[in-house]
Amino acid sequence: MTLLLILAILPVVTALICLILKSWKVQYALTLSSSLIHLAVSFGIFIGYFTPGTTFMFGFDALSKLFLLVLSNTYFWIVLVSYSYIKLPVESDSTSGKKYYFMLMNFYLVANTAAVLSNHFGMYWVAVEMTTLSVAPLVYYSRSEESLVAMWKYLFIVSVGIAFAFIGILFLALSAKGTILDGEQLYFAEYMKNAATLSPIWLKASFIFIFVGLSTKIGIAPMHSGDIDATSSAPSPIAALFSGTLRITALLGVLRMFQIIRPTGSFEFAKGLLIIGGLFSIFVAFIYMFRVTDYKKMVAYSSVEHLGIIALGIGTGGIAFIGALYHIVFNSMTKVGLFLCAGKIHLKYNSRNVSDIFSVLNRLPWTGWIFFISFFAVSGIPPFGFFFSEIRIFEGVFFSDRPYLLIIAMIFLLFIFINMGHTVFKMLYKRGKNEKVSIESEKFDIFHFASISILIVMVLIAVFNPAVLADNITSIANDFGILP
Amino acid sequence: MQNVLSILFCLSLFYITVTSNVRAYISVLRFQGILLVILMILPFIPDLSIFALILPLTMLIVKVILVPQYMTKIMNDLNMKRDIESTIQQFNFLLLVCFSMAIIFLVSNYLSKSTDIAVIPFATGFSAVTVGIYIIIFRKKLLVHVAGFLVLENGIFLFGLAVASEFPVIIELGSLLDIFAVVFLMGIAINKISSTIFTNDRRIQRRDP
Repeated sequence: MTLLLILAILPVVTALICLILKSWKVQYALTLSSSLIHLAVSFGIFIGYFTPGTTFMFGFDALSKLFLLVLSNTYFWIVLVSYSYIKLPVESDSTSGKKYYFMLMNFYLVANTAAVLSNHFGMYWVAVEMTTLSVAPLVYYSRSEESLVAMWKYLFIVSVGIAFAFIGILFLALSAKGTILDGEQLYFAEYMKNAATLSPIWLKASFIFIFVGLSTKIGIAPMHSGDIDATSSAPSPIAALFSGTLRITALLGVLRMFQIIRPTGSFEFAKGLLIIGGLFSIFVAFIYMFRVTDYKKMVAYSSVEHLGIIALGIGTGGIAFIGALYHIVFNSMTKVGLFLCAGKIHLKYNSRNVSDIFSVLNRLPWTGWIFFISFFAVSGIPPFGFFFSEIRIFEGVFFSDRPYLLIIAMIFLLFIFINMGHTVFKMLYKRGKNEKVSIESEKFDIFHFASISILIVMVLIAVFNPAVLADNITSIANDFGILP
Repeated sequence: MQNVLSILFCLSLFYITVTSNVRAYISVLRFQGILLVILMILPFIPDLSIFALILPLTMLIVKVILVPQYMTKIMNDLNMKRDIESTIQQFNFLLLVCFSMAIIFLVSNYLSKSTDIAVIPFATGFSAVTVGIYIIIFRKKLLVHVAGFLVLENGIFLFGLAVASEFPVIIELGSLLDIFAVVFLMGIAINKISSTIFTNDRRIQRRDP
């Protein structure tokens, strides 16, 4: 109970104080302290130092512990750079955007924490709705017309998606008609326990609606458009939050449904749907990479690709499922560096158009090199995390009953790597018109520190694979009844 | 009685399909709100308590009074034209809606053989969800998009009453979707968007002050 209070009430109190206080510095200090405490508690829970119980509609299992740590970790690094970010000169009318920045960030943390820790479908749905409402105004941070369009589009598409997810929950309640769950509360654990008694047709319908509805937030194609626009138009720290945490929180809902459907005859159907969604997402990223014009959008499409890989891994099962869980962890870390660097480039060149970007390595050496390294990280080059997680996923697909899917996925991924690399190298090395060859100096700042630190942490986790993480992921696989 | 009210709800969907007047959309939303309030009270009439009336009364205030009034105010304040700015011919839209509703009713009837569901409210609710999505897709004006979202939400509500009437908590949760509708309306009002923000050059058409 105390832990839940710390995880949920602390950010609420911080948010309310941020609403009253005018000083950004104090707001930042409070938010950073709150995020640090949140991270410490999440880490304590993850390693087993704290053993929390179940309270009201919240509880802890291996899956929620992992997702909570992913959320806390990404959020901490984003908050760390936030003060420097809001001090940056952006578009003229952004003062009101800055005013509510930290308050909304805190509400975002509360909503996400509630979604991750909820053990009831109703509570999860409400929390997911809250995450949308807290993050949408952050997309409109710069108060530009483009960000307004992006925010509106995101809010509208996601609200329709959330309405779909609600229909899915109603179908789930309908699937329990005539069973001992009829008229009972929608606790995940109860539904998992009695999954075999649920009506298969309504369970399938429920999975379809929840998967399609939440795909608007996860960014699974073809429901990805609102998410792409919001991610590419949002401030770079918020875009990193979108990619590293928000999509994962939405994925959690699909995973819960997947867990319920596992012991039923509809399991193969759900697996097929996830594989189709995953492959289609990779395909959409593959197509986009042939005609990249906006580099922030390119990074956003990279998130669609990696969420697609995760969906493919979950759908395949076995070792691929374990790989997908590692991929979730590494995705949240990789995207922080990539988006923060993209934001720095945007600030320097005042354009998101690839054709306007040149000589980044000369003009922004720190940012350029980190962007370069992050590109390798996102492409699955060793020793970065994606290499290890993708190997597991590909192994799982290869030894599954659909090995041909690996060939399809590999072709898409190869072209994504080539085309994305082509764009990144053009940005880094291409000379501008009449540009003199000179290396400008760039101050090492908090953005570089955060990006490098998180990349180092990721490499250490990937290479040493700490026992506590491996045990947690094995425990999740056991909960799902999926073993390699 | 539930079937009669659902059929009336269905007729309101046909009306919203053929009308090209934004104000008619608002009136239909009011009408649908009243129908939903009656439908919510019906099962509790034998032992009516104050607790059973809380949600219907809230719905009456929000769906029948506040939201439609706010929409009308936005229309007046922004001097909005009454036309819904459709991207599809009305007749084609009607055909699409009729075809979709026919399929939904047939499928619902088929599903009712294996599960105990009230076919007419269930199918009407699902039809409203479909019509709401069509309105969002085939109309340009943002205020009409919000009306489409509200029709979709009303559909979910009706649908919820058909499948989980004995479990009011889940239906109460659905009312939280109203928050989105209010946020959309506030967005239109604050940014003074009289028509659409999704134009070819991606610039916003705002009404001059």
